[in-house]
Amino acid sequence: MRGAVHQGGVEVDPEWLRRWREYFLAYYDEARVEDKAAEAAEFAKQYVDQGLVSVSGGKDSMAMLHIITTRVKRNIRVFHWDHGPYLVPREVEREILENIFGVASEADIYIRAYRRGFSERARVDWRPWYAEFFKALEELTRQLRVRYHVLGVRAEESSRREARGRVVERRSWVEVHPIYHFTWRDVWAYIFKHNVPVPRVYYAYAKLLGWDRVRLVTFFDREFEKYGSPQVDSVLSWRWRHTPG
Amino acid sequence: MENLEVVFHLSTPVSLGFPWIFLDSLLAHVMLKEELGERYYSLPTKIPIRDVPRPPLKYYYDVPVASASIIEPNPGLQVFSYFKRGDFPFPRGKISRGSGFFKDFYLKAVYIPAQRVRFYATGELSEIKRLVSKVPALGKDRNIGFGFVKLVEVREIPFEFGLVKDGLAMRPIPVRYLKRYEDSAYLAYKPPYWARESVDLCAVPFTKVELK
Repeated sequence: MRGAVHQGGVEVDPEWLRRWREYFLAYYDEARVEDKAAEAAEFAKQYVDQGLVSVSGGKDSMAMLHIITTRVKRNIRVFHWDHGPYLVPREVEREILENIFGVASEADIYIRAYRRGFSERARVDWRPWYAEFFKALEELTRQLRVRYHVLGVRAEESSRREARGRVVERRSWVEVHPIYHFTWRDVWAYIFKHNVPVPRVYYAYAKLLGWDRVRLVTFFDREFEKYGSPQVDSVLSWRWRHTPG
Repeated sequence: MENLEVVFHLSTPVSLGFPWIFLDSLLAHVMLKEELGERYYSLPTKIPIRDVPRPPLKYYYDVPVASASIIEPNPGLQVFSYFKRGDFPFPRGKISRGSGFFKDFYLKAVYIPAQRVRFYATGELSEIKRLVSKVPALGKDRNIGFGFVKLVEVREIPFEFGLVKDGLAMRPIPVRYLKRYEDSAYLAYKPPYWARESVDLCAVPFTKVELK
């Protein structure tokens, strides 16, 4: 690919990225994303003191984290789940952590890791993931005595998420979604406008799949076989197919 | 053994499951199908076959002298999203389509709208000609029409380009067989390409290398 820059395990075309950046910056003003961000901050303000902000490192959670740390409060509590090297290559995880620590430099960051993610088997058998994730989250919720979990869920993502609403009562906590009304364009516009760092793999995937469809999920994960994701990973992230990177 | 150029002319775009297709893997696949006949389609999944046939190629140590695919023209990757639903009659009553037997798939085929796929190899001309003539389609998702072969040409060329051409690796070559290399990654370098035993630290195809 002419002009492509190899960044990590994937290639990013800088000219293509520059053109899209221009588009999203124009969209930011046109769609009044600033107002949406202010509204999201106002909403989040009610919950962050007694809440735990969950950040995967993907575009939605990073945009939400940026909104909260720049407009609401800096010293918040952040939770990040490390899926392990076989599901998220270390190169990507390192970038995610750098991004989180960069955006939330004054926050208390709690990182829990998926123990089985350190085995190749994690790519095939995803069932234990749920049990371990929710167990870790429940323990942390109890330990920190938080009532709210602040998530980067958006209504547009799926009909199920739309039906869930902006505030959801769960058994052990209440889920709140500050950027619930953001569209995918709003999120990308916010990211480009405020230079919010996101993993660079996003751009390679966005070029192939489209900005609306690109999502940061686990790599080579059989759970997402029904969406064809492992096949796309094998072509774009081929370097990490046989190694945790 | 002759130095060969194998060109597949395609009538439909080629879908990929990896950035490259390997000629030795393709030949081994055809040979295995010939060897097993109908049994090829009911192979055990719990104990996969590891002893795949050895294609009639020259070998550099244990590396087949056969290049990775050169896709022409290469306008870049495209994606085709499609639904795969059961083509059997659904039973009466409520069924789960999120998981289980009636599970729906929303799949993606990564493809290149190419016209030709070129390979270089060193091997037995007549046998390779016979084997490649049995390849109806290349790449992945052949069942939905990707990678159909219109014509295949096999011709002799004066030089051996299966391993290195103009200083570039033409396929994954283990770095232990190299004096110098520009880029490396863990890659399978011999059939069966899915087996862990075939994976080693290799020079990446189409990067600069120097053989020992």
